[in-house]
This record gives sequence, structure tokens and C-alpha cells, in this order.
Amino acid sequence: MMLRKRIITVLTLNDGTLFRTKLFKPDYRYTLNFVDAWSVDEIAILDVSRGDNPDRDRFLSAVGEFAQTCFVPISVGGGIRTLADVPRYMKAGADKVIINTGALENPALISDIANAYGAQCVVLSIDAAKRDGGYEAMSHFGTRATGRDPAAWAREAQDLGAGEILITAIERDGALQGYDLDLCRQVADAISIPVQVLGGCGNWQHMTAAFDVPGVSAACTQNIYHFTEQSIASAKKYLSAKGVPVRV
Amino acid sequence: MIGIIDYGLGNLRSVLGAVEKLGHQAAISADPATLALADKLILPGVGAFGDGMRNLAERGLIEPLSKQVRESKIPILGICLGFQLLSQGSEEFGAHAGLGWIPGQVRKIRPDDATLRVPHVGWNDFDITGDCILFDDVPDPALFYFVHSYHLETDPDITVGTCTYGTPMCAAIQSGNVFGTQFHPEKSQRHGLKVLQNFLERA
Repeated sequence: MMLRKRIITVLTLNDGTLFRTKLFKPDYRYTLNFVDAWSVDEIAILDVSRGDNPDRDRFLSAVGEFAQTCFVPISVGGGIRTLADVPRYMKAGADKVIINTGALENPALISDIANAYGAQCVVLSIDAAKRDGGYEAMSHFGTRATGRDPAAWAREAQDLGAGEILITAIERDGALQGYDLDLCRQVADAISIPVQVLGGCGNWQHMTAAFDVPGVSAACTQNIYHFTEQSIASAKKYLSAKGVPVRV
Repeated sequence: MIGIIDYGLGNLRSVLGAVEKLGHQAAISADPATLALADKLILPGVGAFGDGMRNLAERGLIEPLSKQVRESKIPILGICLGFQLLSQGSEEFGAHAGLGWIPGQVRKIRPDDATLRVPHVGWNDFDITGDCILFDDVPDPALFYFVHSYHLETDPDITVGTCTYGTPMCAAIQSGNVFGTQFHPEKSQRHGLKVLQNFLERA
């Protein structure tokens, strides 16, 4: 039998508090009680706190508390700029770290972490903005242009040792209108490591559409409606009936 | 007491959380004197093979652990990288010698099927292929969480479970008091916790 497609729940924390985001801005506050730690396949936790000096201790202590009660893999990101930042994230309970702006500023960060913790520990997150005739990778919560093409950047990151790519369509964040499949395809075609897609999932058909793209191994969602046990269970039931191999 | 070996790389808190959830006392330690008090040992793992061996050596852990495992026959469970470190060596980022407590070499996963991506990440079916207490009351096949780019090639006699990703790979071993899983039992929900519980209570 085979490797199952994953459904990953993305939790965004703003100053240590859980928020859903819309267009990359904190939008809706809720609690960890809404997170079903049993049905989900994996959890990603991101610090989306802005400002010059976000309180990373507060974020990591929230991560730590959550990690104690949860027996699925956890990837954690937000604010990692150097290899020296990584041990705190791991200590809080991360199995993998998610890097984005730090890697755009210094691509060697990818190989530094991969050499120390293994490639499987490095998830490179790419926030993509739509441009005429293509896409552009953005840094700093999607606010700064980098001039990089997401697919080419994913390829470079793979060569530097990234273990997975998380590709997010900025315009789809919180939009519930489906993943940006062209973007998924461009990135997945460019690389041979697993791809996680985020941004726009509004129903289970959106997930099957994403999994139809070769190389997409995980559909990520942070919408609150997906967090109840019933929802994840029903998503998996739907996917399974459509022939998508999932863990039920 | 369960000794969780801290060599600076493992996902220690996850393992500690799971052991405590199962109602057992555990200590995370890099100190040979503390680990010497353990009834059972867990060698967790996230990281690169060479760093893992170097860190174990720098902490002066290799010799005392070898005595505990090979002479005192203290049960030990290696997880993921910890599982691979039990072997004779690895080709990850150059050639590195392992602990050598079980036969076998760690090699890069190279699937024949080009659509299969590496690292092998996610929930994969696990087939029980040998008689081992770790899998008592665990369904066959079970789904466990894997995340690795390298895999152990070892003696079929000590292989007690496999996962198939293109071709079958060794996913669990037992050689006397030495146990190991390539998957993460502490990250594999109820069935993973059952595997850990079996180690804690039946090994």
C-alpha cells in the first residue's frame, strides 16, 4: 500500500493568540479547543506577529503547550533568521521548521539547517503574488517583492537541501475559492520534493483538485470550519470516496 | 524510569509528552550517570546522521550506553534517526560509522518510480513482518508517520516490519533488547502510542 495524502491544519498565532487570517491579516480569533488533534494528519504553527520585536517567547510557549497534547507532526515557523534560532523552535516541540523571509535574505540558511537537522526538517514556505503572466515570491508577510519566480526559487531551495515546499497563493488567503492550481502545478513540476499547498480551500472538491496536481502531497487549510472533528472526518470521507488515498 | 537520551538533536519533548501521556516517568538527559538509572532507554531522532554520532561522542555517551545496551541488556528503542544510528553506518553527507548494535547500513532512498518524491513524508502503511511485542494489539497493516530521506538496509532476520514506497523498506527492527522504528510512534496518533506503550510495558 501507499503513502497517504495529508491534510495539514495551519494555525496562525498573533502575539501568542490564535487567529485566522484573511489576505495575510489577522481576522478572526478562536481557541485551540477548535483544533482537533486526533483527525488531522499534521499541524503547522506560524507566528504572524508583526512589529520590530515580536515576543517570540510567548509564541514558543504557546507552541510548547499545544505540542504536549498533540501526537501528530508539528512544523513551526515565523521569525527564523539564523541557524541559532532553530533550537528554540525544536525545543518547543517542532519536528520541522518553516522558513520564508530568512531564506530569501540568506539562502544559505536552508543548507545550514538541512546539514544540522536533516533535509526533512526544513520546510521552505513561499508566499506567491500574482503578476502579469506569472507569479512573484514575496517576503515579510507578503509585503516585499523579491523579484524571484516561485518555481525557480523552489528549485533553488531544493538544491540547497529543503525537504518540502509550502506554497501559498497570497490572494487566495481566506478567500475559500479554491487553491491556485496553476501556481501549484508550476512549483510541483519544478521540483522532486513533496509540495504542500495553502490558500483558498473552501470545500472538499478544492482538496481533490489540488491532489490531482502531480506532486502535491498535502492540502493545508486554516479555515475555522475545517477544525471540528466532523469536518476533517467528512473531508477524508469525501476524498476517500473520490479515490484519493487518505488516512481515515 | 525511562531515560530519553538527549544528544542535542532529537524531538525530545514530543517523546517525553507521549511517554508521560502513557503514565510513565521519564527523564531527558545527556548525563551518563542519570541514564545509568534508567530501566529502559529511548534514542529519539530528528537530524543528520553524522551530527548525531558526533554529538553522542562529544557528550561521552557512546561507551556507557554501549555497556548498558550490550552488557546489561537494557531495552532500548531507537526512533527515526535514533533507529538509523543503531546500525553500522550511513552514507548521509559522507560516510559515517554508527553505533553498530545491529547489522546494516543506512542509504539514500532512491525510488524506481520517478513520481515518488524524497523525502518520504507522511502516513504510510506499515506491514508487520515479524513477531515483535512492539506490535501487539496493533492492526496489520497500520498507518504510521514517516519522515526520512535515508533508510536502513539490514538483515531480514531482525526486520519486524516494512513500509512500501516504490519498494519495501525496513521500517522496524528487533534484535534482542534492541528495538527500532523508522516511523515516529510519538507522532502516529493512537496506534503509535500503542507501539510506545508496548515498548514501555512489554519489552
